[in-house]
Amino acid sequence: MERVCSKVRHRLRDPVTGLLFVLPVLVLFLVFRIFPTLGVAGMSLTDWKISGEWSFVGGDNYARLFDDPNFLTSLQVTLVYSAIYVPLTVLVALGTALLLNSVIFMRGLFRGMLFLPYVTSFVFAGIIWRWIYEFDGLLNGLLARIDVGPVAFMEESALVLPALALVSVWKGFGYSMLILLAGLKAIPGSYLEAARVDGAGPFQRFRRITLPLLKPALFFVLIIETITAFQVFDTIYVMTGGGPARASYTLIYGIYEQGFRFFDFGYAATLGMVLFAVVLVISLIQRRLMDRGNT
Amino acid sequence: MTITASRPKPATRAAQIRGARARRRRRWPLVALLALLSLLTISPFIAMIIVALSPVGKPTVPAQWPESLTLDNISRVFSASGFIGWTFNSLVYSLVSVVIILLTASMAGYAFAKKRFPGRDTMLWTFLATMMVPFQATLIPTFVLVANLGGVDTFWGLIMPTLANSQAVFLMRQFIMGLPDELFEAAKVDGASELRVFWQIVLPLTRPILATLGVFVFLWHWNDFLWPLVASQSNATRTLTVGLTTLRTEEVQLSMLMASAAISVVPCLLVFFLLQRYLVNSIAMTGMK
Repeated sequence: MERVCSKVRHRLRDPVTGLLFVLPVLVLFLVFRIFPTLGVAGMSLTDWKISGEWSFVGGDNYARLFDDPNFLTSLQVTLVYSAIYVPLTVLVALGTALLLNSVIFMRGLFRGMLFLPYVTSFVFAGIIWRWIYEFDGLLNGLLARIDVGPVAFMEESALVLPALALVSVWKGFGYSMLILLAGLKAIPGSYLEAARVDGAGPFQRFRRITLPLLKPALFFVLIIETITAFQVFDTIYVMTGGGPARASYTLIYGIYEQGFRFFDFGYAATLGMVLFAVVLVISLIQRRLMDRGNT
Repeated sequence: MTITASRPKPATRAAQIRGARARRRRRWPLVALLALLSLLTISPFIAMIIVALSPVGKPTVPAQWPESLTLDNISRVFSASGFIGWTFNSLVYSLVSVVIILLTASMAGYAFAKKRFPGRDTMLWTFLATMMVPFQATLIPTFVLVANLGGVDTFWGLIMPTLANSQAVFLMRQFIMGLPDELFEAAKVDGASELRVFWQIVLPLTRPILATLGVFVFLWHWNDFLWPLVASQSNATRTLTVGLTTLRTEEVQLSMLMASAAISVVPCLLVFFLLQRYLVNSIAMTGMK
Protein backbone atom coordinates (compact mmCIF):
# COMPACT_ATOMS: atom_id res chain seq x y z
CA MET A 1 0.00 0.00 0.00
CA GLU A 2 2.76 2.38 0.97
CA ARG A 3 4.65 1.59 -2.21
CA VAL A 4 1.64 2.25 -4.38
CA CYS A 5 1.21 5.61 -2.68
CA SER A 6 4.83 6.60 -3.22
CA LYS A 7 4.64 5.48 -6.82
CA VAL A 8 1.62 7.64 -7.42
CA ARG A 9 3.32 10.53 -5.70
CA HIS A 10 6.36 10.11 -7.94
CA ARG A 11 4.29 10.03 -11.04
CA LEU A 12 2.64 13.27 -9.96
CA ARG A 13 5.98 14.85 -9.13
CA ASP A 14 7.55 13.75 -12.40
CA PRO A 15 6.19 16.48 -14.70
CA VAL A 16 7.79 19.17 -12.57
CA THR A 17 11.18 17.52 -12.18
CA GLY A 18 11.20 16.50 -15.84
CA LEU A 19 10.54 20.05 -16.95
CA LEU A 20 13.09 21.44 -14.51
CA PHE A 21 15.78 19.15 -15.90
CA VAL A 22 14.94 20.15 -19.47
CA LEU A 23 14.61 23.84 -18.65
CA PRO A 24 18.22 25.00 -19.26
CA VAL A 25 18.39 23.30 -22.65
CA LEU A 26 14.88 24.47 -23.50
CA VAL A 27 15.75 28.11 -22.81
CA LEU A 28 19.00 27.85 -24.79
CA PHE A 29 17.15 26.28 -27.71
CA LEU A 30 14.30 28.76 -27.75
CA VAL A 31 16.63 31.76 -27.60
CA PHE A 32 19.58 30.64 -29.72
CA ARG A 33 18.17 28.06 -32.16
CA ILE A 34 14.43 28.46 -32.67
CA PHE A 35 14.32 32.26 -32.45
CA PRO A 36 17.18 32.76 -34.99
CA THR A 37 15.58 30.15 -37.29
CA LEU A 38 12.34 32.12 -37.33
CA GLY A 39 14.42 35.29 -37.40
CA VAL A 40 16.27 34.43 -40.58
CA ALA A 41 12.98 33.89 -42.39
CA GLY A 42 11.63 37.18 -41.06
CA MET A 43 14.79 39.18 -41.76
CA SER A 44 14.88 37.92 -45.34
CA LEU A 45 11.69 39.92 -45.93
CA THR A 46 13.26 43.18 -44.69
CA ASP A 47 16.09 45.53 -45.62
CA TRP A 48 17.66 45.17 -42.17
CA LYS A 49 20.67 47.44 -41.69
CA ILE A 50 23.50 47.17 -39.21
CA SER A 51 22.01 50.15 -37.35
CA GLY A 52 18.98 47.99 -36.55
CA GLU A 53 16.66 50.05 -38.76
CA TRP A 54 14.50 48.05 -41.07
CA SER A 55 11.37 48.15 -43.16
CA PHE A 56 9.34 45.39 -44.73
CA VAL A 57 10.25 44.83 -48.38
CA GLY A 58 8.29 41.64 -49.13
CA GLY A 59 9.93 39.39 -51.69
CA ASP A 60 12.37 42.03 -52.99
CA ASN A 61 15.41 40.23 -51.58
CA TYR A 62 14.36 37.00 -53.27
CA ALA A 63 13.79 38.78 -56.58
CA ARG A 64 17.23 40.35 -56.21
CA LEU A 65 18.82 36.88 -56.01
CA PHE A 66 18.10 36.24 -59.68
CA ASP A 67 19.70 39.50 -60.82
CA ASP A 68 22.70 39.18 -58.55
CA PRO A 69 25.67 37.89 -60.57
CA ASN A 70 27.59 37.26 -57.33
CA PHE A 71 24.85 34.99 -56.02
CA LEU A 72 24.64 33.06 -59.27
CA THR A 73 28.43 32.74 -59.26
CA SER A 74 28.36 31.51 -55.66
CA LEU A 75 25.81 28.81 -56.54
CA GLN A 76 27.88 27.67 -59.49
CA VAL A 77 31.12 27.71 -57.50
CA THR A 78 29.54 25.74 -54.64
CA LEU A 79 28.14 23.15 -57.05
CA VAL A 80 31.44 22.72 -58.91
CA TYR A 81 33.32 22.52 -55.62
CA SER A 82 30.89 19.86 -54.32
CA ALA A 83 31.12 17.94 -57.58
CA ILE A 84 34.88 17.69 -57.07
CA TYR A 85 34.98 17.30 -53.30
CA VAL A 86 32.25 14.71 -52.69
CA PRO A 87 33.31 11.96 -55.15
CA LEU A 88 36.99 12.53 -54.34
CA THR A 89 36.57 12.31 -50.58
CA VAL A 90 34.26 9.28 -50.79
CA LEU A 91 36.70 7.51 -53.12
CA VAL A 92 39.70 8.24 -50.91
CA ALA A 93 37.72 7.20 -47.82
CA LEU A 94 36.56 3.99 -49.49
CA GLY A 95 40.02 3.15 -50.77
CA THR A 96 41.72 3.67 -47.43
CA ALA A 97 38.91 1.84 -45.58
CA LEU A 98 39.28 -1.16 -47.91
CA LEU A 99 43.06 -1.15 -47.42
CA LEU A 100 42.72 -0.88 -43.64
CA ASN A 101 40.19 -3.71 -43.65
CA SER A 102 42.46 -6.09 -45.52
CA VAL A 103 45.75 -5.26 -43.77
CA ILE A 104 46.45 -6.46 -40.24
CA PHE A 105 50.09 -5.35 -40.03
CA MET A 106 50.28 -2.09 -37.96
CA ARG A 107 46.67 -1.34 -38.79
CA GLY A 108 46.11 0.87 -35.72
CA LEU A 109 49.10 3.04 -36.58
CA PHE A 110 48.03 3.53 -40.19
CA ARG A 111 44.45 4.26 -39.18
CA GLY A 112 45.70 6.87 -36.73
CA MET A 113 47.95 8.53 -39.32
CA LEU A 114 45.15 8.68 -41.89
CA PHE A 115 42.67 10.01 -39.35
CA LEU A 116 45.03 12.60 -37.83
CA PRO A 117 44.09 15.63 -40.02
CA TYR A 118 40.45 15.22 -39.00
CA VAL A 119 41.10 16.47 -35.45
CA THR A 120 42.71 19.70 -36.67
CA SER A 121 40.85 22.85 -37.68
CA PHE A 122 40.07 24.00 -41.19
CA VAL A 123 41.93 27.20 -40.35
CA PHE A 124 45.01 25.13 -39.49
CA ALA A 125 44.60 23.16 -42.73
CA GLY A 126 44.21 26.41 -44.65
CA ILE A 127 47.40 27.94 -43.21
CA ILE A 128 49.50 24.85 -43.91
CA TRP A 129 48.12 24.35 -47.41
CA ARG A 130 48.39 28.04 -48.27
CA TRP A 131 52.14 27.58 -47.85
CA ILE A 132 52.09 24.26 -49.72
CA TYR A 133 50.38 25.90 -52.72
CA GLU A 134 52.29 29.19 -52.61
CA PHE A 135 54.32 30.32 -55.58
CA ASP A 136 57.53 29.68 -53.64
CA GLY A 137 55.90 27.08 -51.40
CA LEU A 138 56.42 23.40 -50.68
CA LEU A 139 54.68 21.90 -53.71
CA ASN A 140 56.33 24.20 -56.24
CA GLY A 141 59.67 23.53 -54.55
CA LEU A 142 59.17 19.82 -55.07
CA LEU A 143 57.88 20.30 -58.63
CA ALA A 144 60.95 22.38 -59.44
CA ARG A 145 63.14 19.34 -58.77
CA ILE A 146 61.47 17.56 -61.67
CA ASP A 147 61.59 20.77 -63.73
CA VAL A 148 57.86 21.46 -63.60
CA GLY A 149 56.19 24.73 -62.78
CA PRO A 150 56.03 26.89 -60.82
CA VAL A 151 52.24 26.65 -60.83
CA ALA A 152 50.09 29.43 -59.33
CA PHE A 153 47.55 27.12 -57.69
CA MET A 154 45.72 29.87 -55.82
CA GLU A 155 45.76 32.43 -58.64
CA GLU A 156 44.41 30.34 -61.53
CA SER A 157 40.63 30.25 -61.78
CA ALA A 158 40.67 26.73 -63.19
CA LEU A 159 42.94 25.34 -60.47
CA VAL A 160 41.65 27.03 -57.34
CA LEU A 161 38.56 24.86 -56.73
CA PRO A 162 40.29 21.49 -57.24
CA ALA A 163 43.15 22.73 -55.04
CA LEU A 164 40.72 23.84 -52.29
CA ALA A 165 38.74 20.60 -52.58
CA LEU A 166 41.95 18.65 -52.09
CA VAL A 167 42.62 20.51 -48.82
CA SER A 168 39.15 19.59 -47.55
CA VAL A 169 39.63 15.98 -48.64
CA TRP A 170 42.91 15.84 -46.73
CA LYS A 171 41.32 17.36 -43.65
CA GLY A 172 38.04 15.45 -43.74
CA PHE A 173 38.29 12.00 -45.35
CA GLY A 174 39.25 10.33 -42.05
CA TYR A 175 35.68 10.70 -40.81
CA SER A 176 34.12 8.92 -43.79
CA MET A 177 36.92 6.37 -43.72
CA LEU A 178 35.94 5.37 -40.17
CA ILE A 179 32.25 5.10 -41.07
CA LEU A 180 33.03 2.93 -44.10
CA LEU A 181 35.52 0.85 -42.12
CA ALA A 182 32.80 0.12 -39.56
CA GLY A 183 30.51 -0.83 -42.43
CA LEU A 184 33.11 -3.18 -43.88
CA LYS A 185 33.72 -4.82 -40.51
CA ALA A 186 29.99 -5.53 -40.23
CA ILE A 187 30.07 -7.67 -43.38
CA PRO A 188 30.25 -11.31 -42.24
CA GLY A 189 33.55 -12.88 -43.25
CA SER A 190 31.73 -16.10 -44.10
CA TYR A 191 30.03 -14.44 -47.11
CA LEU A 192 33.36 -13.46 -48.62
CA GLU A 193 34.91 -16.81 -47.73
CA ALA A 194 32.02 -18.65 -49.39
CA ALA A 195 32.43 -16.55 -52.52
CA ARG A 196 36.16 -17.26 -52.52
CA VAL A 197 35.55 -20.99 -52.27
CA ASP A 198 33.13 -20.68 -55.17
CA GLY A 199 35.95 -19.16 -57.21
CA ALA A 200 35.03 -15.47 -57.17
CA GLY A 201 38.04 -13.20 -57.69
CA PRO A 202 38.77 -10.19 -55.50
CA PHE A 203 37.14 -7.77 -57.92
CA GLN A 204 34.00 -9.90 -58.22
CA ARG A 205 33.80 -10.29 -54.46
CA PHE A 206 34.00 -6.51 -54.08
CA ARG A 207 31.38 -5.82 -56.73
CA ARG A 208 28.91 -8.56 -55.81
CA ILE A 209 29.21 -8.75 -52.02
CA THR A 210 31.12 -5.88 -50.41
CA LEU A 211 29.63 -3.04 -52.41
CA PRO A 212 25.93 -4.00 -52.07
CA LEU A 213 26.31 -4.62 -48.34
CA LEU A 214 28.21 -1.37 -47.89
CA LYS A 215 25.53 0.66 -49.66
CA PRO A 216 23.84 2.11 -46.54
CA ALA A 217 27.17 3.31 -45.12
CA LEU A 218 28.24 4.69 -48.50
CA PHE A 219 24.96 6.51 -48.82
CA PHE A 220 25.24 8.03 -45.35
CA VAL A 221 28.76 9.23 -46.12
CA LEU A 222 27.66 10.66 -49.46
CA ILE A 223 24.91 12.77 -47.87
CA ILE A 224 27.04 13.96 -44.95
CA GLU A 225 29.87 14.96 -47.26
CA THR A 226 27.50 16.78 -49.61
CA ILE A 227 26.18 18.85 -46.71
CA THR A 228 29.77 19.46 -45.57
CA ALA A 229 30.68 20.59 -49.08
CA PHE A 230 27.89 23.18 -49.10
CA GLN A 231 29.16 24.62 -45.84
CA VAL A 232 32.77 25.20 -46.88
CA PHE A 233 34.08 28.53 -45.62
CA ASP A 234 37.14 28.52 -43.34
CA THR A 235 39.74 27.35 -45.86
CA ILE A 236 38.42 29.81 -48.45
CA TYR A 237 38.58 32.69 -45.98
CA VAL A 238 42.17 31.78 -45.13
CA MET A 239 43.48 30.81 -48.57
CA THR A 240 41.75 32.81 -51.29
CA GLY A 241 39.26 35.30 -49.86
CA GLY A 242 36.83 34.08 -52.52
CA GLY A 243 39.23 34.87 -55.36
CA PRO A 244 40.74 34.98 -57.87
CA ALA A 245 37.95 37.04 -59.46
CA ARG A 246 35.31 35.20 -57.36
CA ALA A 247 36.43 31.81 -58.70
CA SER A 248 36.13 30.41 -55.14
CA TYR A 249 33.24 32.60 -53.98
CA THR A 250 30.95 30.07 -52.26
CA LEU A 251 27.46 30.41 -50.78
CA ILE A 252 28.66 30.86 -47.19
CA TYR A 253 31.33 33.27 -48.32
CA GLY A 254 28.51 35.28 -49.88
CA ILE A 255 26.58 35.28 -46.58
CA TYR A 256 29.69 36.44 -44.75
CA GLU A 257 30.50 39.15 -47.27
CA GLN A 258 26.97 40.53 -47.55
CA GLY A 259 26.58 40.46 -43.76
CA PHE A 260 29.95 41.54 -42.42
CA ARG A 261 31.60 43.47 -45.25
CA PHE A 262 28.54 45.22 -46.77
CA PHE A 263 26.40 44.98 -43.60
CA ASP A 264 23.34 44.19 -45.71
CA PHE A 265 21.78 41.92 -43.08
CA GLY A 266 18.42 41.53 -44.84
CA TYR A 267 20.00 40.24 -48.03
CA ALA A 268 22.53 38.10 -46.13
CA ALA A 269 19.59 36.48 -44.30
CA THR A 270 18.02 35.73 -47.68
CA LEU A 271 21.22 33.93 -48.71
CA GLY A 272 20.97 32.06 -45.39
CA MET A 273 17.48 30.93 -46.42
CA VAL A 274 18.91 29.58 -49.69
CA LEU A 275 21.51 27.57 -47.77
CA PHE A 276 18.79 26.33 -45.42
CA ALA A 277 16.64 25.25 -48.39
CA VAL A 278 19.53 23.41 -50.03
CA VAL A 279 20.46 21.50 -46.86
CA LEU A 280 16.78 20.74 -46.19
CA VAL A 281 16.32 19.27 -49.66
CA ILE A 282 19.44 17.10 -49.27
CA SER A 283 18.25 15.91 -45.84
CA LEU A 284 14.78 15.09 -47.18
CA ILE A 285 16.24 13.12 -50.08
CA GLN A 286 18.29 11.22 -47.53
CA ARG A 287 15.22 10.51 -45.40
CA ARG A 288 13.22 9.37 -48.44
CA LEU A 289 15.90 7.05 -49.79
CA MET A 290 16.73 5.69 -46.33
CA ASP A 291 13.07 4.78 -45.78
CA ARG A 292 12.94 3.08 -49.14
CA GLY A 293 16.12 1.18 -48.35
CA ASN A 294 14.67 -0.13 -45.10
CA THR A 295 11.45 -1.54 -46.48
CA MET B 1 42.71 -22.68 -33.51
CA THR B 2 39.83 -24.41 -31.76
CA ILE B 3 39.08 -28.06 -32.45
CA THR B 4 35.49 -28.60 -33.46
CA ALA B 5 33.43 -31.65 -34.19
CA SER B 6 33.62 -31.20 -37.95
CA ARG B 7 37.38 -31.04 -38.08
CA PRO B 8 38.56 -30.87 -41.70
CA LYS B 9 40.68 -33.67 -43.11
CA PRO B 10 44.45 -33.10 -42.77
CA ALA B 11 45.01 -32.68 -46.48
CA THR B 12 42.36 -29.99 -46.99
CA ARG B 13 43.45 -28.27 -43.77
CA ALA B 14 47.01 -28.05 -44.94
CA ALA B 15 45.76 -26.65 -48.21
CA GLN B 16 43.70 -24.11 -46.36
CA ILE B 17 46.65 -22.95 -44.30
CA ARG B 18 48.80 -22.76 -47.39
CA GLY B 19 46.07 -20.70 -49.07
CA ALA B 20 45.83 -18.35 -46.14
CA ARG B 21 49.61 -17.92 -46.06
CA ALA B 22 49.74 -17.22 -49.76
CA ARG B 23 46.98 -14.67 -49.39
CA ARG B 24 48.83 -12.98 -46.57
CA ARG B 25 52.01 -12.83 -48.65
CA ARG B 26 50.03 -11.28 -51.50
CA ARG B 27 48.96 -8.56 -49.05
CA TRP B 28 52.43 -7.00 -48.77
CA PRO B 29 51.87 -4.63 -51.71
CA LEU B 30 48.71 -3.49 -49.94
CA VAL B 31 50.69 -2.80 -46.76
CA ALA B 32 53.21 -0.80 -48.78
CA LEU B 33 50.45 1.20 -50.43
CA LEU B 34 48.77 1.87 -47.09
CA ALA B 35 52.08 2.96 -45.56
CA LEU B 36 52.68 5.31 -48.49
CA LEU B 37 49.22 6.89 -48.19
CA SER B 38 49.61 7.25 -44.43
CA LEU B 39 52.97 8.99 -44.80
CA LEU B 40 51.56 11.23 -47.51
CA THR B 41 48.71 12.19 -45.18
CA ILE B 42 50.97 13.24 -42.35
CA SER B 43 53.66 14.80 -44.56
CA PRO B 44 52.17 18.33 -44.25
CA PHE B 45 52.55 18.00 -40.46
CA ILE B 46 56.16 16.90 -40.81
CA ALA B 47 56.96 19.73 -43.24
CA MET B 48 55.30 22.21 -40.88
CA ILE B 49 57.34 21.00 -37.90
CA ILE B 50 60.61 21.15 -39.84
CA VAL B 51 59.94 24.74 -40.95
CA ALA B 52 58.76 25.71 -37.45
CA LEU B 53 62.06 24.43 -36.03
CA SER B 54 64.28 25.98 -38.72
CA PRO B 55 66.36 29.07 -37.87
CA VAL B 56 64.86 32.27 -39.32
CA GLY B 57 66.25 33.29 -42.69
CA LYS B 58 68.19 30.05 -43.20
CA PRO B 59 67.25 27.74 -46.09
CA THR B 60 64.80 25.01 -45.21
CA VAL B 61 62.40 22.63 -46.94
CA PRO B 62 61.61 22.31 -49.79
CA ALA B 63 64.88 23.88 -51.04
CA GLN B 64 67.09 21.92 -48.64
CA TRP B 65 67.08 20.33 -45.23
CA PRO B 66 67.88 22.84 -42.47
CA GLU B 67 71.41 22.50 -41.10
CA SER B 68 70.29 22.90 -37.52
CA LEU B 69 67.04 22.99 -35.60
CA THR B 70 66.04 25.56 -33.00
CA LEU B 71 63.19 26.31 -30.62
CA ASP B 72 63.61 30.07 -31.16
CA ASN B 73 60.43 30.38 -33.23
CA ILE B 74 58.32 28.73 -30.56
CA SER B 75 59.51 31.13 -27.85
CA ARG B 76 59.14 34.10 -30.20
CA VAL B 77 55.54 33.10 -30.93
CA PHE B 78 54.77 33.14 -27.23
CA SER B 79 56.35 36.55 -26.74
CA ALA B 80 54.55 37.98 -29.78
CA SER B 81 51.60 40.17 -28.95
CA GLY B 82 48.24 38.48 -28.79
CA PHE B 83 49.19 34.83 -29.06
CA ILE B 84 48.94 33.89 -25.38
CA GLY B 85 45.70 35.85 -25.14
CA TRP B 86 44.20 34.01 -28.13
CA THR B 87 45.22 30.67 -26.64
CA PHE B 88 43.65 31.61 -23.32
CA ASN B 89 40.44 32.73 -25.06
CA SER B 90 40.27 29.47 -27.02
CA LEU B 91 40.69 27.52 -23.81
CA VAL B 92 37.89 29.50 -22.13
CA TYR B 93 35.62 29.12 -25.16
CA SER B 94 36.24 25.35 -25.36
CA LEU B 95 36.36 24.35 -21.71
CA VAL B 96 33.41 26.44 -20.51
CA SER B 97 31.35 25.09 -23.40
CA VAL B 98 32.35 21.50 -22.59
CA VAL B 99 31.29 21.86 -18.93
CA ILE B 100 27.97 23.57 -19.66
CA ILE B 101 27.01 21.34 -22.60
CA LEU B 102 27.84 18.15 -20.70
CA LEU B 103 25.80 19.30 -17.71
CA THR B 104 22.74 20.66 -19.53
CA ALA B 105 22.66 17.88 -22.15
CA SER B 106 22.87 15.11 -19.56
CA MET B 107 20.12 16.76 -17.49
CA ALA B 108 17.88 17.07 -20.52
CA GLY B 109 18.86 13.61 -21.75
CA TYR B 110 17.87 12.13 -18.40
CA ALA B 111 14.50 13.89 -18.44
CA PHE B 112 13.78 12.92 -22.05
CA ALA B 113 14.77 9.30 -21.42
CA LYS B 114 13.22 8.61 -18.01
CA LYS B 115 10.58 11.24 -17.23
CA ARG B 116 7.10 11.91 -18.43
CA PHE B 117 6.10 15.51 -18.74
CA PRO B 118 3.75 17.47 -20.98
CA GLY B 119 5.21 18.44 -24.35
CA ARG B 120 8.13 16.05 -24.05
CA ASP B 121 7.91 14.45 -27.47
CA THR B 122 7.12 17.73 -29.24
CA MET B 123 10.16 19.28 -27.62
CA LEU B 124 12.42 16.39 -28.55
CA TRP B 125 11.31 16.40 -32.17
CA THR B 126 11.68 20.17 -32.41
CA PHE B 127 15.24 19.89 -31.09
CA LEU B 128 15.96 17.18 -33.61
CA ALA B 129 14.45 19.21 -36.45
CA THR B 130 16.78 22.13 -35.67
CA MET B 131 19.68 19.83 -36.58
CA MET B 132 18.65 20.32 -40.20
CA VAL B 133 19.15 24.09 -39.92
CA PRO B 134 22.83 24.77 -40.54
CA PHE B 135 24.33 27.28 -38.13
CA GLN B 136 25.65 29.34 -41.05
CA ALA B 137 22.06 29.89 -42.25
CA THR B 138 21.12 31.52 -38.93
CA LEU B 139 24.42 33.37 -38.57
CA ILE B 140 22.90 36.80 -39.26
CA PRO B 141 19.93 36.68 -36.83
CA THR B 142 22.13 35.07 -34.17
CA PHE B 143 24.60 37.93 -34.52
CA VAL B 144 21.82 40.55 -34.43
CA LEU B 145 20.38 38.90 -31.32
CA VAL B 146 23.73 38.80 -29.51
CA ALA B 147 24.50 42.36 -30.61
CA ASN B 148 21.16 43.60 -29.26
CA LEU B 149 21.83 41.88 -25.94
CA GLY B 150 25.21 43.65 -25.83
CA GLY B 151 27.16 40.43 -26.21
CA VAL B 152 29.53 41.26 -29.06
CA ASP B 153 33.16 40.90 -27.96
CA THR B 154 32.19 39.37 -24.61
CA PHE B 155 32.77 35.81 -23.51
CA TRP B 156 29.12 35.10 -22.80
CA GLY B 157 28.13 36.44 -26.21
CA LEU B 158 30.74 34.17 -27.77
CA ILE B 159 29.80 31.06 -25.81
CA MET B 160 26.02 31.16 -25.26
CA PRO B 161 24.81 30.65 -28.87
CA THR B 162 26.97 27.53 -29.21
CA LEU B 163 25.48 25.78 -26.18
CA ALA B 164 22.16 24.69 -27.74
CA ASN B 165 23.49 21.42 -29.12
CA SER B 166 20.84 18.94 -30.23
CA GLN B 167 23.40 16.26 -31.08
CA ALA B 168 24.58 16.27 -27.46
CA VAL B 169 21.05 16.11 -26.04
CA PHE B 170 20.06 13.30 -28.37
CA LEU B 171 23.20 11.28 -27.68
CA MET B 172 22.69 11.54 -23.91
CA ARG B 173 19.03 10.57 -24.25
CA GLN B 174 19.87 7.49 -26.30
CA PHE B 175 22.50 6.38 -23.82
CA ILE B 176 20.39 6.98 -20.69
CA MET B 177 17.42 5.17 -22.26
CA GLY B 178 19.58 2.05 -22.25
CA LEU B 179 20.07 2.21 -18.47
CA PRO B 180 17.62 0.03 -16.47
CA ASP B 181 14.65 1.86 -14.88
CA GLU B 182 14.98 -0.19 -11.68
CA LEU B 183 18.12 1.69 -10.79
CA PHE B 184 16.37 5.02 -10.59
CA GLU B 185 13.26 3.59 -8.95
CA ALA B 186 15.31 1.84 -6.28
CA ALA B 187 17.10 5.06 -5.45
CA LYS B 188 13.84 6.92 -5.22
CA VAL B 189 12.28 4.26 -2.99
CA ASP B 190 15.31 4.69 -0.76
CA GLY B 191 14.36 8.32 -0.51
CA ALA B 192 16.99 9.93 -2.70
CA SER B 193 16.04 13.34 -4.07
CA GLU B 194 15.90 13.90 -7.83
CA LEU B 195 19.04 16.00 -7.72
CA ARG B 196 20.83 13.26 -5.85
CA VAL B 197 19.67 10.61 -8.32
CA PHE B 198 21.06 12.74 -11.12
CA TRP B 199 24.33 13.51 -9.36
CA GLN B 200 25.04 10.07 -7.89
CA ILE B 201 23.47 7.69 -10.40
CA VAL B 202 23.02 9.34 -13.79
CA LEU B 203 26.35 11.17 -14.00
CA PRO B 204 28.59 8.27 -12.85
CA LEU B 205 26.81 5.79 -15.11
CA THR B 206 27.10 8.02 -18.17
CA ARG B 207 30.81 8.66 -17.68
CA PRO B 208 31.96 6.87 -20.87
CA ILE B 209 29.53 8.75 -23.09
CA LEU B 210 30.29 12.02 -21.28
CA ALA B 211 33.99 11.50 -22.03
CA THR B 212 33.24 10.93 -25.72
CA LEU B 213 30.92 13.90 -25.94
CA GLY B 214 33.42 16.06 -24.06
CA VAL B 215 36.13 15.23 -26.60
CA PHE B 216 33.87 16.16 -29.50
CA VAL B 217 32.61 19.39 -27.93
CA PHE B 218 36.18 20.40 -27.13
CA LEU B 219 37.32 19.81 -30.70
CA TRP B 220 34.27 21.55 -32.21
CA HIS B 221 34.94 24.65 -30.14
CA TRP B 222 38.72 24.67 -30.33
CA ASN B 223 38.49 24.39 -34.13
CA ASP B 224 35.45 26.65 -34.56
CA PHE B 225 35.93 29.65 -36.79
CA LEU B 226 32.92 31.42 -38.37
CA TRP B 227 31.09 32.30 -35.15
CA PRO B 228 34.19 33.47 -33.25
CA LEU B 229 35.17 35.44 -36.37
CA VAL B 230 32.02 37.57 -36.19
CA ALA B 231 31.38 37.48 -32.43
CA SER B 232 34.85 38.54 -31.29
CA GLN B 233 36.09 41.84 -32.61
CA SER B 234 39.22 42.51 -30.58
CA ASN B 235 41.98 40.58 -28.85
CA ALA B 236 39.84 40.58 -25.69
CA THR B 237 37.84 37.56 -26.90
CA ARG B 238 39.57 36.63 -30.18
CA THR B 239 40.19 32.87 -30.30
CA LEU B 240 43.26 31.14 -31.68
CA THR B 241 41.70 30.19 -35.02
CA VAL B 242 40.63 33.80 -35.64
CA GLY B 243 43.94 35.16 -34.37
CA LEU B 244 45.92 32.90 -36.69
CA THR B 245 44.12 34.29 -39.74
CA THR B 246 45.26 37.80 -38.79
CA LEU B 247 48.88 36.67 -39.23
CA ARG B 248 49.68 37.46 -42.84
CA THR B 249 52.69 35.97 -44.55
CA GLU B 250 53.82 39.40 -45.74
CA GLU B 251 54.36 40.55 -42.16
CA VAL B 252 55.16 37.32 -40.34
CA GLN B 253 58.03 35.06 -41.33
CA LEU B 254 57.03 31.63 -42.57
CA SER B 255 58.87 29.87 -39.74
CA MET B 256 56.93 31.95 -37.17
CA LEU B 257 53.65 31.22 -38.92
CA MET B 258 54.35 27.48 -38.98
CA ALA B 259 55.37 27.58 -35.32
CA SER B 260 52.09 29.34 -34.45
CA ALA B 261 50.10 26.79 -36.43
CA ALA B 262 52.01 23.95 -34.78
CA ILE B 263 51.28 25.27 -31.27
CA SER B 264 47.61 25.81 -32.13
CA VAL B 265 47.21 22.16 -33.03
CA VAL B 266 48.86 20.75 -29.88
CA PRO B 267 45.60 20.36 -27.88
CA CYS B 268 43.98 18.53 -30.82
CA LEU B 269 46.97 16.19 -31.02
CA LEU B 270 46.89 15.59 -27.26
CA VAL B 271 43.21 14.71 -27.47
CA PHE B 272 43.97 12.52 -30.45
CA PHE B 273 46.81 10.57 -28.84
CA LEU B 274 45.11 10.16 -25.46
CA LEU B 275 41.51 9.56 -26.56
CA GLN B 276 41.76 8.19 -30.09
CA ARG B 277 39.82 5.09 -29.11
CA TYR B 278 36.83 7.14 -27.87
CA LEU B 279 36.84 9.26 -31.02
CA VAL B 280 37.14 6.35 -33.43
CA ASN B 281 34.52 4.20 -31.70
CA SER B 282 31.95 6.95 -31.35
CA ILE B 283 32.27 8.02 -34.97
CA ALA B 284 31.85 4.42 -36.08
CA MET B 285 28.88 3.86 -33.77
CA THR B 286 26.95 7.14 -33.82
CA GLY B 287 28.19 8.92 -36.94
CA MET B 288 28.84 12.01 -34.83
CA LYS B 289 30.77 14.61 -36.80
